[in-house]
Amino acid sequence: MYEVSQNLRLARAYVPFQIYNQSWEPLEGLMRGTIFPELYFPYRKREY
Amino acid sequence: MDREQLALLKEVMALDFKALELQLYLDTHPNDQRALRDHNLACQEAKAAKENYQRCYGPFMPCEATGFPWQWISDPWPWEICYE
Amino acid sequence: MWLYEKKLQYPAKVGRANLQMAKFLITQYGGADGELAASMRYLTQRYTMPVPQGKGTLTDIGTEELAHLEIIATLVYKLMDGASVDEIKRAGLGAYYADHDKALYFVNGEGVPWTAAYIQSKGDPVTDLHEDMAAEEKARSTYEWLINLSDDPDLNDTLRFLREREIVHFQRFGETLQIVQNYLDCKKVY
Repeated sequence: MYEVSQNLRLARAYVPFQIYNQSWEPLEGLMRGTIFPELYFPYRKREY
Repeated sequence: MDREQLALLKEVMALDFKALELQLYLDTHPNDQRALRDHNLACQEAKAAKENYQRCYGPFMPCEATGFPWQWISDPWPWEICYE
Repeated sequence: MWLYEKKLQYPAKVGRANLQMAKFLITQYGGADGELAASMRYLTQRYTMPVPQGKGTLTDIGTEELAHLEIIATLVYKLMDGASVDEIKRAGLGAYYADHDKALYFVNGEGVPWTAAYIQSKGDPVTDLHEDMAAEEKARSTYEWLINLSDDPDLNDTLRFLREREIVHFQRFGETLQIVQNYLDCKKVY
């Protein structure tokens, strides 16, 4: 496991590891674009 | 495409999608046993749904195109289907 | 090697033909931040990934991008379906029509043809993965701008799907980056 609790270095980018927990039903996942709720970030159209 | 065929096709897409999501997850988490178990289950379900669809409506892969005449090339192709 | 499965990854619909949107959408086919660039970038970088997780992730995401390329082609095909030459001219697609009729071609929204200059394969896996993460963000932004441009809810469903895939891909490349960095750090310890 590659934990973020290890010493973080300067001049490096870190993306936290996903930990698989729940998943949506397949059809709902397909419609949303992911089966993982924690990776779902829908777009809100901006009003200019 | 009639409603029943479309519903079955969407089911196949959904099951394949679940398997792919777990595949990508496993690529970076190869030791996640639960993910592996769910991936294998998803693949089984997708396989069954595909076999069912192909029996009625035609092949997804050339090796499944066993009937005469050669069904692999039959219309419609995926970009021609109305997914209403 | 590659196989082709005769189905789309997602049921891509459009509400009605829209030549203007077709012109905008073509950038995700043959443009700098489009699906062809993404696919070719990952599939060519994978050869010099030092760890199996890297080879797997780049192969699998590179392959998925080809499926997305097919979806973009499907959308453009449907958006141009049934259009008359007059409508094509009025939408500013006259020059494209002269060269291609309604066929799909690898250009961006301004007609600039696809080029390998859109991608890099630096050989340094840390460098390559940063480019991949940036590519996913560029694609995500492009889908957001395309959603802004479109008033077709059916089209937007597919654009939202493709946009969410970019977010998931970013996560995978981020994880792969850490795996590669850890691997290279360990190699330096003699």
